Amino acid sequence: MTSGLASPVGAAQVPAPMTGKTLALHDLSLALRSGVRGPGAADWLRTQSMPTDLQPNTIENISNGRLLMALSTREFWLLEPDADASAAAPPSAAVATEAWPLYNQHSHAWLVLAGGPKADMMAKLCGVDLRENAFALGQVAQTQMAHISVIVAHHLWRDTPVFSMFVDQSLADFAWTALSDAMSEFRASTD
Amino acid sequence: MKMMECPLNGPRNISEFTYGGQVQVMPDPQQCSDLEWAKYVFYEDNDLGVVREWWQHTPSSYWFIAERHNGSDVILRTYDPATLFTGRVDFQDEGSPS
Repeated sequence: MTSGLASPVGAAQVPAPMTGKTLALHDLSLALRSGVRGPGAADWLRTQSMPTDLQPNTIENISNGRLLMALSTREFWLLEPDADASAAAPPSAAVATEAWPLYNQHSHAWLVLAGGPKADMMAKLCGVDLRENAFALGQVAQTQMAHISVIVAHHLWRDTPVFSMFVDQSLADFAWTALSDAMSEFRASTD
Repeated sequence: MKMMECPLNGPRNISEFTYGGQVQVMPDPQQCSDLEWAKYVFYEDNDLGVVREWWQHTPSSYWFIAERHNGSDVILRTYDPATLFTGRVDFQDEGSPS
């Protein structure tokens, strides 16, 4: 665990990887993430030598296992699933002209779902078609899951296709429980 | 379930959206009367026909404009507000010189 930080998941259960034979749910809330928003956000990405041509609602693997996610033409999240979050206070001043930092390290919990039937399982909770033919690698959906707002990103993590899901920190326990419950059907059929 | 086309996120269940009121032309807050401002803030026309409304896609906090027939509830089209609003409005304090 990152010193000074605690995962929002885990009031009711230990936030260890929850693995079935077909699906696995991981809590990456203590992994590093940051972001920038504003009319100048794309210009700031250019100064950081990061891609600036991402379409809204897409995600791309960049260097060293990092991911860049575009939620609009003015909001970008930088995700580092294999780096620990910092307990230092996030910056509050503009990072560039009309570009401000996001507090997504502290506002959102990060859950990762892996496994073959993940789209079938998510169909129990989410109205958007997340099957491979409709929601390919690199796509992002801002929608609802189990009646709460969620950002779902389809990307590779450690060479495995996964769904990263970002939910409000205050709803992290609920999301974990809802996902665990949905997963139980698939575990029961294979264990 | 009824669907709505979000200009940013595509078609989504209507339960993902929040109504934000009628699109109106804002009067000049420094020049208009209290009655004009109250009408802008609190009143809606409530005419039967195609209305232009603010809607928000809640999961992405994205505001856009929808044109909807309020008799049939058919959503005719949706679009980014930049189509109508091209400039930023800067408000001045009431006490500061204009």
